[in-house]
Amino acid sequence: MLFLIELIESVRSFIATGGNVLYFVAFALLLMWILMIERYWFLASVYPKMRDDIIAKWDARADTTSWYAHRIRDTWISEAAELLERNMITIKTLVAMCPLIGLLGTVTGMISVFETMAQQGTGNPRLMASGISMATIPTMAGMVAALSGVFFSSRLDAKVKLAKAKLIDSLPHH
Amino acid sequence: MKKMINYVMLAASMTVGMAASANANDLQKLLEKVKSDRISEAKIDKKREAEFTAARADKQALLKKAKATLKAEQDRNARLTKEYAQNEITLAQKEVELDTAQGTLGEMFGVSRAAAADAYGAISTSIVSAEYPGRGDVLNKIANAKEIPALEQLEELWFALQTEMTQSGEISKFTAEVTNLDGTKSTETITRIGTFNLVSDNGYLNYNDEVGQIQPLAKQPAGYISDTASSFFNTASGYTELYVDPSRGAILTLETRKKTLEEFYHQGGTVGYAITVLLIIGLLIALERIIVLGSVASKMKAQQKNLSQPNENNPLGRLLVVYNENKNADAETLELKLDEAILRETPKVDRGINLIKMFAAIAPLMGLLGTVIGMILTFQTITLFGTGDPKIMAGNISLALVTTALGLIAALPLILVHSIVAGRSKSVLHKLDEQSAGLIAEIAEKESK
Repeated sequence: MLFLIELIESVRSFIATGGNVLYFVAFALLLMWILMIERYWFLASVYPKMRDDIIAKWDARADTTSWYAHRIRDTWISEAAELLERNMITIKTLVAMCPLIGLLGTVTGMISVFETMAQQGTGNPRLMASGISMATIPTMAGMVAALSGVFFSSRLDAKVKLAKAKLIDSLPHH
Repeated sequence: MKKMINYVMLAASMTVGMAASANANDLQKLLEKVKSDRISEAKIDKKREAEFTAARADKQALLKKAKATLKAEQDRNARLTKEYAQNEITLAQKEVELDTAQGTLGEMFGVSRAAAADAYGAISTSIVSAEYPGRGDVLNKIANAKEIPALEQLEELWFALQTEMTQSGEISKFTAEVTNLDGTKSTETITRIGTFNLVSDNGYLNYNDEVGQIQPLAKQPAGYISDTASSFFNTASGYTELYVDPSRGAILTLETRKKTLEEFYHQGGTVGYAITVLLIIGLLIALERIIVLGSVASKMKAQQKNLSQPNENNPLGRLLVVYNENKNADAETLELKLDEAILRETPKVDRGINLIKMFAAIAPLMGLLGTVIGMILTFQTITLFGTGDPKIMAGNISLALVTTALGLIAALPLILVHSIVAGRSKSVLHKLDEQSAGLIAEIAEKESK
């Protein structure tokens, strides 16, 4: 319990030094990981069943060579691909957005530095330091968030493409 | 001519001769008068001489007397000089005696004066003086007094310090006159928190020690801070949280000079407003797209469940109509007809999506434009005023940064919204492009059986 309180306190002080932009970074990171975990779960447990159903249905068909059969096969592949690729755009966008949010933090931090300068002059670097930490911490947080997403999202992308290619291969024309 | 001069000279000599014979009697008289006068003058001289001789003896006596007086005065002078020197020595001795007699007591008075001066500074500026006005007068008197302070005054100093100390730990409520910003005066109930803050119903107050007035802050600090003040003021019992300014008002005064978000926004200037317009238009387009695509998707879903009755109000229905019209054509002709119909539907679905993407790309660029304009203005300021005062430059730099921030703030939601809208339109297009043919194939298969 005490450990948790300490953790919350350290997060709070981190956000206090980094400014409110960190909330946006945290939100983007959270959304990104929820979507990615959902994708992994889908690929691991929902998709195989669906794939097996489609393959079984295709294998049960008598006609697999006519124009109609081709269209039906394309439709099934397209439906599966749509489910596979759902939210992938959003995940990639979120990964790309994280450094941008960090950049926003940099700019707002610099604004507060210049605000301090306009009021107090450059005499006291300590007053400016809070603005500088508000500029640098969100940048770092945005980078870290983006990096954490880049690897897994590209892995996910590859997995989805592979799954689609495998599905196409599994539906041969007899 | 010569004859004429001779006549005149002759006449003149005759006149002089006549006058001399007339004055011969007068001269005789004068001689006799001088003789008689000489006799009387000699008499007077003799008399005066006798008088002087008599007076001489008197003056001699007077001189003697004056000399005696001088002597006496000189004697007195010597005596007094001696006495004065003696007294000087005694005075010095007495002063030394006084110093030794005072001892550390003298130092104590110096300390008490210094303490009074310090206390005067602290107490007259303290907000406790808002509740108990006029405490500083006695202290000022002690601090500026030339003579040793009286016991009562010392007690007064002690009392003032003790009051300040006690009051600094107390929260008290009192009624006082508040001078509002427009100069009007109103009587309000004020809560004082120690020596730190004055709080009223309307937020934080300031005590101006120069004029001895309670004034509201020129601008209340940010909402979440001033809200605690009014909620604290309205709490009758129990505990409530409150922001306290430990610097006795300095931080609150700084806070009033801080810009609000709105002021920051307006610093962005024209570029900032343009970015806002861009954001609003982008979001409106996105909203329209989401609604339209949502309704199209739901109508297509409904159509998918009811394939036998094609409805003209959705793309899938229109495709089915095309199929029904060309039912008996061969597969190739049907595919061409379907492709044609899909090609007609596609622009309706992905209309506006590229516009959102473009806006998302333009917004940071406009921010950059603002940055550049801000920097140009900054350098203009430097040309005019030099780099001496960072305060002058900082204004334009903040314009530059604010537009950058606004550009990013506009771009981020546009990017996110674009990804959502693009996802939706892609799914609708997939349904039309790849899945509709399959549906039609299924229908055809069923009908052929």
